[in-house]
Order: sequence, then structure tokens, then C-alpha cells
Amino acid sequence: MTGSWQNLDYFAFVALFCIGLYVVLAKSNLVKKLLGLNIMETSVFAFIVTSGMVDGGTAPIVGPGVTGPFASPLPHALILTGIVVAVSITALALALIVEIKRQCGTIEADELKGLD
Amino acid sequence: MLDFRVVLAPAISLACGLLVFVLGRHDGWRATLTLSAALIKLLLILTLLPGSLEGVVYGYRAFDFPPGVGIAFRVDALGMFFALVSSTLWVLATVYAIGYMREQHERVRFFGFFALCVSTTVGIAFAANLLTLLLFYELLTICTYPLVIHDETPAALRAGRKYLAYTLCGGALILLGTVLVQHLAGSLDFGTGGLLRAAAGQPLLPLTFIALVAGFGVKACLMPLHGWLPTAMVAPTPVSALLHAVAVVKAGVFGLLRVTYDVFGVELLAGLGYMSWVAALAAFTILAGSFAALAQVNLKRRLAWSTISQLSYIVLGAALLTPLAAMAAIVHIANQAFAKITMFFVAGAIERGTGRTELHELAGLGRVMPWTMAAFTVAALSFIGVPLFAGFITKWYLSLGGLQAHAGWVVLLMLASALLNAAYWLPVVYRAWFRPPRGLAEGVKEAPLLLLVPMLVSAAYVVLLGISTRVPGMPFSLAEAAVHYVTGIGAGP
Amino acid sequence: MQHLLPLAAVLPLVAGALVPAVAWRRPDRAWGWAVAAGSGTLVVTALLTLRLLRTGPFSYPLGGWAPPWGIELRFDALSALSLGIAMIYLAVLVFSRRYAQSAVAPQRRAWFYSLLLVNLGGLVGFACTADLFNMFVCMELVSVSSYALVAAGGGRIAALAAFKYLVAGAVSSMLVLFSVGILHALTGSLNMADVAVRLADVEARGPVLLAVGALTVGFMVKAALFPLHLWLPDAHASAPGPVSAVLSALVVKLGVIGLVRVLPLFTGLEWLSLAPLQEALAWLGAIAIVTGALAALLQEDIKLMLAYSTVSNVGYIVLGIGLATPPAVTGGLVHVLNHGLIKATLFLAAGAIIYRTGYRTLRDLRGVGRMMPWTSVALSLGVLSIVGLPPTAGFLGKWYIALGAFEAGRPGFAIALLAGALLIFVYYLRILNALYFRAPLREEMLAVREAPVSMLLPVLALALLCLLGGLFGSGPVALAARAAAALAGGG
Repeated sequence: MTGSWQNLDYFAFVALFCIGLYVVLAKSNLVKKLLGLNIMETSVFAFIVTSGMVDGGTAPIVGPGVTGPFASPLPHALILTGIVVAVSITALALALIVEIKRQCGTIEADELKGLD
Repeated sequence: MLDFRVVLAPAISLACGLLVFVLGRHDGWRATLTLSAALIKLLLILTLLPGSLEGVVYGYRAFDFPPGVGIAFRVDALGMFFALVSSTLWVLATVYAIGYMREQHERVRFFGFFALCVSTTVGIAFAANLLTLLLFYELLTICTYPLVIHDETPAALRAGRKYLAYTLCGGALILLGTVLVQHLAGSLDFGTGGLLRAAAGQPLLPLTFIALVAGFGVKACLMPLHGWLPTAMVAPTPVSALLHAVAVVKAGVFGLLRVTYDVFGVELLAGLGYMSWVAALAAFTILAGSFAALAQVNLKRRLAWSTISQLSYIVLGAALLTPLAAMAAIVHIANQAFAKITMFFVAGAIERGTGRTELHELAGLGRVMPWTMAAFTVAALSFIGVPLFAGFITKWYLSLGGLQAHAGWVVLLMLASALLNAAYWLPVVYRAWFRPPRGLAEGVKEAPLLLLVPMLVSAAYVVLLGISTRVPGMPFSLAEAAVHYVTGIGAGP
Repeated sequence: MQHLLPLAAVLPLVAGALVPAVAWRRPDRAWGWAVAAGSGTLVVTALLTLRLLRTGPFSYPLGGWAPPWGIELRFDALSALSLGIAMIYLAVLVFSRRYAQSAVAPQRRAWFYSLLLVNLGGLVGFACTADLFNMFVCMELVSVSSYALVAAGGGRIAALAAFKYLVAGAVSSMLVLFSVGILHALTGSLNMADVAVRLADVEARGPVLLAVGALTVGFMVKAALFPLHLWLPDAHASAPGPVSAVLSALVVKLGVIGLVRVLPLFTGLEWLSLAPLQEALAWLGAIAIVTGALAALLQEDIKLMLAYSTVSNVGYIVLGIGLATPPAVTGGLVHVLNHGLIKATLFLAAGAIIYRTGYRTLRDLRGVGRMMPWTSVALSLGVLSIVGLPPTAGFLGKWYIALGAFEAGRPGFAIALLAGALLIFVYYLRILNALYFRAPLREEMLAVREAPVSMLLPVLALALLCLLGGLFGSGPVALAARAAAALAGGG
């Protein structure tokens, strides 16, 4: 692959990011917003992992008879941390949604705006 | 030279104010505290007087915080003059207030902030740089607000809001000017004969001028920034006396004097020509204020417009940029203060004694309250500019200064103003002495001693200031020293 | 002693993790533990700052791995902010005792303190790191604990505000992570200094621009810079008292500090000039000053007023940074600390008043000044400070930024700054007026007592710092100037 086709995956991730952002902004249901957020997070993680890929590289595990080039292991570490963060945010958001449902009776942003 | 007395002077009334807040519930203690603090402060400032007459400058650097400028104090002849006037008047006003505020509500708050006001006023007088001046200027605004709204009626609260609106905007403008001066001159210290001397031709200079003049002009009641003063008359009389004679308005004109002589400097201003605008505004204020005073029916309101008119004498004196005019400006700080405070004392005594506030009700009071009305007459004659009274000195020197500045119209202005003053003071005096009293209740008599003595003392001062110009050690020579300081030249015919 | 730098962040983090164990079956022990951890953090940051003043900036390679391969912690002039962070946080922790006892259920109390400590650890870590991803992680520690803390007091508005905050915060965090990913992909490194050097050799312009843009927008949201500030008022106003103080004083500054750390990375590029970005920041800052102040004027709820005031003050800081002249940036950075002190004072004092009276609107709080004199004095000192009266702390930032505006040849910004100051004066005077010069509306107000000592002491201490911070502010200003020089000149 040559030229910008080489970077097709990066464009895809940016597109995914924008889709996620759109969902967050446009959808009214809080759970859907949360899903959009997760899509955004996933796109960023995929982007980071992909950036660590080396042409013809293998998994970054050193062992007998395994030779380079290796894909960079650093992005893997990065996204693991990122996934942990994303999961905790999702858990917290879900807890908040449950609480909102309990307090306000609805989890649609349009209706919630009217309540305040 | 470093001298602790410089910072002690404002500190005394500050301590007094704080003590009043904490311990001042008992009437007797509070009165003793405020009175002794007033006297101690006056004595302290008097000890600095001999040196100031010789041209010595005392200084004290308090805090040097980051802007490279600090909070610093200095006593030069000009600051000394202002401080002396306000300290003397504080003693008188305190005695008066003790008498006037008997049985009134919130006395602790009143006397506490009263003391804080004078502390900040002396801080303004002794400020060594523009930043310290600004600091105490803003503190003065904050400390006078509770006094203005003392009665807490809707009218008082409205007046207080208007007062704050005007003065805070003025303060913001002064801050803008201060930053500009720092930017243009790299320093804010007074005593250099003109910080911005080297900055002629800078594009930001007009903005600096407008900011500082308009900023200080609010408290100096330069038209059209005067709107807060007549409304602030709802305050109790001792507060009006303080505002109009001692603290607030004098701080405004003092600030303008500092701007003229210490920030811009006479030479720069003469070159720029902005001051002719200010002179025109001042002349307009003198006349318009007098006309407005003519139209008033309420005594305190007439006093308010008279103040607005009189303050512009000082502004005009500064705007003319000549030594003789400077003399007039500085001397009028005292002349106007003593005469005006006398009148306010009288107004308050009349109100307390008879409940009357409108001018047409004052008929015949001379029979019943002779000493009170005598004090009023003295003050009125001073404003009209009758020789032997303080006001004449001002008019004389202002006229001479105008001639020195090739502005002969000033003489005409003085004459016109004298006539207008006569037009609105003489009828009052006439009515009080030569008309029979109407509808006075039984038992109305002369004002009580606590109210009477201060007004007689200040009236005596008015006469004293008028006749003692050649006596060394008297205020006039201090004013001369001040003029020498600000213009570098001697003054006097 | 040489491991002091990581200790600054690790201490509160570990302490936070241990709180639930410490407070097992004895929820009131959590407070003491938290205060001890806060004090320890204060001591550590003080020692670090002393070392900075004596010998200059220093680094610590985490795990012994030298940079640029390892994570580098670095204590420079900007990191000295962590001392301010620790001071404010200690006051907040001491203050929280009564609040937690009254508003947080016993079984949740340990988690409350735990979250606070994690928040503190993240803040300190953020200030002391030289690694991009480490910065992101610390930012997330702070953010996630903040989202939870907003909702900690319970209530409908708090839950909604927390969710809004969460969404805004998570989106901005993703933007930042995205940019970090781009930078890593382009340069192969995560160390800030290293990235700065390597970025100069990168030829692909599009990704770099994308990175700059995403970083800026992300940090703008975190800092609640106009027009991305909409999440802030509700979050800060409906949060529990001590949490509001932390959010407005400290957490919101993450966006600013992040920008200051990250923008110098891009100054080595010949083809990219940061000037348009700085210009845009200056404009947005100026608009934020005025709109924040105007919005605050319209509020009746004291905490909403303070929250909008935060929006306005962040505008000051960003204006200073956007003007990019040394005094302006110094002013902005010094205001980061000073506004933190002031806002913490104001929110804690307001929190104490709300705790005692149960009311939050100015109408209902009339006359409180008489019943709670010391708290009101502290509040008044905070008001005088934020208005910018010399010689209080709030004056310094405004002075330097105004001076910097003139130096940059933009007098209009200085005028906007002063207009904002005037507006600020007006709405804070409303507070003082209501407290002191109006009579209480209800009988029950007359029975209100002064705030308890554990609330009063930290409030007064912070108020005193507001005053002293101005008088003796030459230290922070010197540090800020050093940090500004690194931003403008070196980077």
C-alpha cells in the first residue's frame, strides 16, 4: 500500500471518533450517550495500538527463536491503562444513570432539561 | 528620612476603628476612645509640621510587594497640608458626632467606620506612590459606604448604591491609569516632579490622562461626574460633614493635585494642553453648581451643590498650572473644608433643635439660636469672598493665578461666583436674622454644647485662615511650602 | 530523600486506597487519616519546593529507567504549584469533617475521603510530571474522582450535574489522549522534552495540527474556557461544599497547566506559529472575563455566583497566557495560585454558612454577617481579594496581566480586564451587602451560631493567606516569572 492508502486505518479511527462524538452530542438517551463515549474511547485505543504496528512486525514477546522486528509494546501498555480508565468512567456513568433514573424518573436528556 | 510617625498616623485611627468594633458597646468608653484617638493623631501630625514647613520629606516604606512598587508613605508639604486639615476636622467632627448621634441606632458601626474613614484619608495624604494612593482611595470608598447608608431607609440604600456605582467606576479608571503610568514611566513614586515627563508623545498618554482625571474627578465632583453627591445627602449630618469637608471629596481633589504635579508634572501638562479642557470643565462646574444651588429649597442640598461648585475652585487652580493658582488650590482645601463643615454643623444643629430642613423655614432662627447662626454667617461670608474671611484668600490667589496664566477670564469668573454665592447665601442669612420666627415650638433654644462648640471653633478657624496669611507657622505658610514643593518655585506676591 | 518527588503523589494515593481499611467499622477515623495524609503531602511538597529554590529544577526517573525511555517526573518552577495545591487541600480536608458527618452516609464516608485523597494525588502528580502519558493518567485520576465527588452529596441536581461533567470531561480526556497518541506515533516518544526536540523533524503537518487542535480544545473544556464552560456552573454549584472548593480552586486549573506544559512542545517548529492560537486564547479569555462576570451578576444562589466567577477568573488566566508577553504570562500563572486560594476561601466560607443556615440564596442569607462574624470576615477578605484590591493576592495577577497587555500593545484587553474587575466588584458587593446591611428575613436566622471550629479554622487560615499572598507575594511571582520564561523564551 502506498500514499494515503497507507493511512486508511487512521482515517477510519478519526471517523469512528467523530461518530462517537456525534452520538454523545445528538442522542437524547443517557445510555446512548455513554455508548457514544465508549465508541470514542475505542477509536482512540485502536488508533494508539495501530500506531505501534511495524511493517512485518510480530507480537512483542521475546522468546527462543523469535526474532524482530517487533511491534512496539509501548502502545499496548498505554491502551491498557486507557481501557482501565474507560471502564471506570463507564461504571461511574452507569451508576449515575441509575441514580438519575431513581431521582428523576427518566433518562432522556430532553425531559431532564425540562425538569430542572 | 525614615520616620515611624508617618505610618503611625493612619494606624492610630485604624486601631481606634477596630477597637470600637470590638469594645465599643459602652457609650462613654466609645466616646473617650474616639476622642482621644483623634487628639493623639492631631498631635502626632503636628509634630511633623515644623519639618514640613522647612521642606523636609519624611518617608516610610511598609511593604515592597511584587509589582516593584510597594506600600510606602511619605510626608511632603502637600500631603501634610491635607492630613493636617483632615485631622483637625476629625477632632471637631468627632465631638459633634458624639453629640448628634445620641440615641441613634448602630452607633458602634458608625463610630467604627468613622474612625476607619479618617485612617484611610490620612493614608491617602501620606501616600508615597500612586499604588498606595489607590489602595487607600478604594478603602475610603468601602469605609464610607456603611456611613452613607446608615439610616438603612430605602432612600439611603439607593443613595449608597449610586455612591458605590460612581466611586467604584472612578476607582477602576484610576487603576487603569495606574497601570498605564507604570507601563509608560516604570515607576509610580511621587516626588519626582512628574513621572511622565519623559513620556511626551506616547500614544497612550491621552488615555492615561483621561483615566486618571475622570477617575479622581468622580470624588472631586467634576461635572458631569458629580451625580452621587446630592443624593448622598440622605446620610446623617456628621457623615455629610465628613464626606464634604474632610474625607471623600477632598481625597478626590487631592488625587487630582497629585496627578497634576507628581504624575504628569507642570511642564508636560503645559506642553500637552489637556488642562485647558479641565479648566473649562472646572469653570463650568463652578457656575453650574452655583446655579443649581440657587434652585434648591432644602438646606443640605444647597450645601451639596455649593460643595460641587467650590471643589472646582481647587480643580481650576490646578488646571491653570501657575504657582499662584496652585497656592489658591492648596489653600482652598482648608478654606472650603472649614467653612463647609461649619455650615453642615449648623444644618445638623437646626435639624436636631427644630426639626427644620427647608430654607424658608429658617426665618428668625438668629433670635433663638444666635451663636449657631453667627457661625453660619461667618461661613457664608467666607464663601462669598468677603475680605478677612478665608474664602477671600482663595479668590484673590485664584484671580492672580489666572492673570499669571494669561487667563483673565478667571477674574471675571471669581466675581461672578462671588455674586452667585451672595445670591444664595445672603437671603438665608437675612431671613435668619431679620425676619421674625414662625411657628417655632416652645423651648427651642440654642444648640447643645457638643454641637455648638465644634461649629464655633471651625467658624473661628475660617476667620483665622482669612487673617493670618502673614503669620509664620499658620496654615498659609504650610500651603506656601506645599506650592514650593510642587512647582519648585516660590509663590506669593 | 531522593525519592521525595514520587512520594508527593504516591503518599495521598496510597493513603486514599487505604482509607476504607482504616475506617472499617469506625467511619470517623477516616477524617483523621485523611488529614494526616494531607499534612504529609504538604510537608513533602514544601521540602520539594525548598529544594527547587535552593538548587533549581530537578528530575526523577521512575523505576530507575532514564528518560526518554522511562517516565520522568520533574519538579520545576511550575511544579511548585503543588505546594499551593497541598495547602488548599489540607484546609479542605480539615473542613470536610463536619460536612461529611452531616451529609454523607456513614458507610460512604470512607469512600468520600478516599476520593478526595486520590484527587489530591492526581493533582500533585499532574504538576510534577514530564511525561505526556503520565500527565494523562494523573489528569484522569483527578477527573474521575471529581465526577464521583460532585455526586457525593446526593440529590437530583448533583447527579445530573455530575453526569454532564462526566460526559464533557471524558470527551475532552479522549481528545487529549488522541493527541498524545498522535504525538507518540509521530515521534516515538512520550517524554515532553524529547517530543519537543523530535517534533521539529516531523514532516507530516496535518497530524501535528490535529494534535495541537485536539490538545487545545481538550484542555479548554477542562479549564471551562468560554464557550466550552457550560458544564461548570452546575457541577461546581451543586457539589458538596468542600468539593466545590477543590473543583474551582484546583481541578479547573488542570486545563490551564496542561496548556502551559504542552504548548511549548510546538514552538520548535518553523512552519507552525502559535501566534494565531495565542490570539484566539486571548480573545476567548477576554470574552470569558466579561460573560462570566455578567452571568454571575444575575445569580441569586451564592454558589452559582461563585461558579460563574470561576469562569470569569479562568478567563483572566487564559488572557494572560494568550497575550504571551512575560508579565502577562507571569500574571496568569500567579493568578492560578492566587485564585485557588481565594476561591477556596470563598467556597469554604459559603459552605460553612450553608451548613449552619441551610440556605443558599442571597435573599435568605441576609443579615448572616452578624450571626457568623468570623466566617463573614473571612468571606469579606476573600471578596476583597478577588476584587483585586491591593495588597491582597488577587491584585497581583490582574496587575501583571494588565501591564502585559499594554506591553503587547493591546490596551483594549487591559480595559476589558478592568471592566471585568468592576463587574466582579458589583456582584461580590451584593454578597457583602446582603450579609451585613440587610435584616434577616426569618426568625430562625437569629438563632444561627458561628461555624464550628473545624470549619472556621481552615477558612480563616485561607483568608489570611489571601492577604499575605499579596503582601509577601514576591516569592510566587518570582516562581511564576521563571515558569513564564520557560514558556515564552526557552520553549
